[in-house]
Amino acid sequence: MSYRGDAEIIVDGVSMQYGGESGTTTALQDVSLEIGSGEFVTVLGPSGCGKTTLLRLVSGLESPSSGKITVAGEPVRGPAPNRGTVFQAYHLFPWLTVEENVAFGLVEQGVPDATRRERTSEMLDLVGLSEFADAYPKELSGGMKQRVGLARALAVDPDVLLMDEPFGSVDMQTRRRLQRELLDIWSSTEKTVLFVTHDIEEAVVLSDRIVVLSGTPGRVRATVAVERSRPRDRSAQWFVDQVEGLFERLGPNR
Amino acid sequence: MATEFDPAANSSQSRSEPTTTAAFGRRWNLTRLWRGLAGTAGFLAVWWVAGGQVPSYLLPTPDDVAGALWTELVTGQLFVHLGESLLHYVPGVVVGVVAGGVLGVGMGWSQVVDDVLTPVVRVLRPIPPLAWIVFAIIWLGLGHSGAAFIVFIGALWITFYNAYEGVENASRDLMEVAATLGVDSDRRLLWRVVIPDALPEILTGVRTSVGQCWMMVIAAELFGAPGVGYEIITSANNLAMARSIAYMLTISAVFLLSDWAVRRLRAYLLDWQP
Repeated sequence: MSYRGDAEIIVDGVSMQYGGESGTTTALQDVSLEIGSGEFVTVLGPSGCGKTTLLRLVSGLESPSSGKITVAGEPVRGPAPNRGTVFQAYHLFPWLTVEENVAFGLVEQGVPDATRRERTSEMLDLVGLSEFADAYPKELSGGMKQRVGLARALAVDPDVLLMDEPFGSVDMQTRRRLQRELLDIWSSTEKTVLFVTHDIEEAVVLSDRIVVLSGTPGRVRATVAVERSRPRDRSAQWFVDQVEGLFERLGPNR
Repeated sequence: MATEFDPAANSSQSRSEPTTTAAFGRRWNLTRLWRGLAGTAGFLAVWWVAGGQVPSYLLPTPDDVAGALWTELVTGQLFVHLGESLLHYVPGVVVGVVAGGVLGVGMGWSQVVDDVLTPVVRVLRPIPPLAWIVFAIIWLGLGHSGAAFIVFIGALWITFYNAYEGVENASRDLMEVAATLGVDSDRRLLWRVVIPDALPEILTGVRTSVGQCWMMVIAAELFGAPGVGYEIITSANNLAMARSIAYMLTISAVFLLSDWAVRRLRAYLLDWQP
């Protein structure tokens, strides 16, 4: 890999075991990867391959059984706002308005009122939800909720953006639109993105590189670079071939 | 629970034609309103006929009661006695709700506090508030403080239970989100996530307390604390049953009024709920 020295996220020999009544389950085994600054990397794998676990480890919501994770030069010890996280189920605070949700992290950082308001409206602009600043989450569609989730994670200007199947709960039309919007936001903010999905097309549309994770226990099966300019045409031959190739690589688990 | 006093909430289940009209900021189903009026008229008629057959110390007629109620209103006695009741009801409910809320949140949140206090709470909570009347009398005498103490015990356990449940069931997912956004202390987590998430259940506790504590007030007053309950029993002792019933209706009225007020407050505070 050519990113050593400039790596924003380093996952080094990480394993994760869960102890249960029926013995221990290994969710991840000896996973190593490096993600360069500003890179968009997708972890692709079937359900239950531990890809969400990997993301939770990088976000600091769980600690690995062994191995080490470093983000922006700092070892990960618990969650912190420099790793913005976007969840599949949105997890907006239902009692806060859209604006207050986006401002949540800024309030916790003790950002002065004026700066906070400015930054919040900037973020709402970015995701196209300025008109809904005073709405409660219950009034929003799934796609809008996820835009708020993204704005909330970005508001504190994190080093990296961690996204756990963020578009898994919306319809196809909305999903494609959100993918386009995410790429726009990514190129304008130049964030490092670690994205998790089981949708092969989504991985090919979005990523610089795709890390293929095998099934139980999760191991890195392959790393595939997608060296094509964006926006990418889903009907292009290379696209179809790449999707098919990844499908093969995912193997019988799928 | 909320629907029994709420004509609008049931209207969707109505089988009749939706003849509705807007009044008092609410849509009334006229057919159902008529049924309610018919039921009330029927009840009053049966009462009136029955009351006419027996001496008024056994059952006064509705017009006797209306007369007694009118007298208490114009002499201002009703407000005096209601004021006496409120003098122990309000502090008892307020202190009980706050203490119960704090205890419930504390035990629901902290494993240590939960472990330390659970045995004591398990034993004390099932004791009916009125059983404490002996200590209320010995410690505080049967004035306002004694009655307030009984009310306090009632509000304490009701609110405690709801607050505890609310905090226990607070969303782990939202706590994780908060952690990724920089919440790194219990204090901030409680303030920003746990308590707002538990608020619907806490407010259910407040509403139940506000209602149930009227029962505690009357019970305490039957033992001699001044107020509406005391008037009910002393009037009955003088065979002034119409006056007794007038004060019983007063309790009903303030119960409905306070319940309505809490429901409005709850709806206002929880307008974010789906």
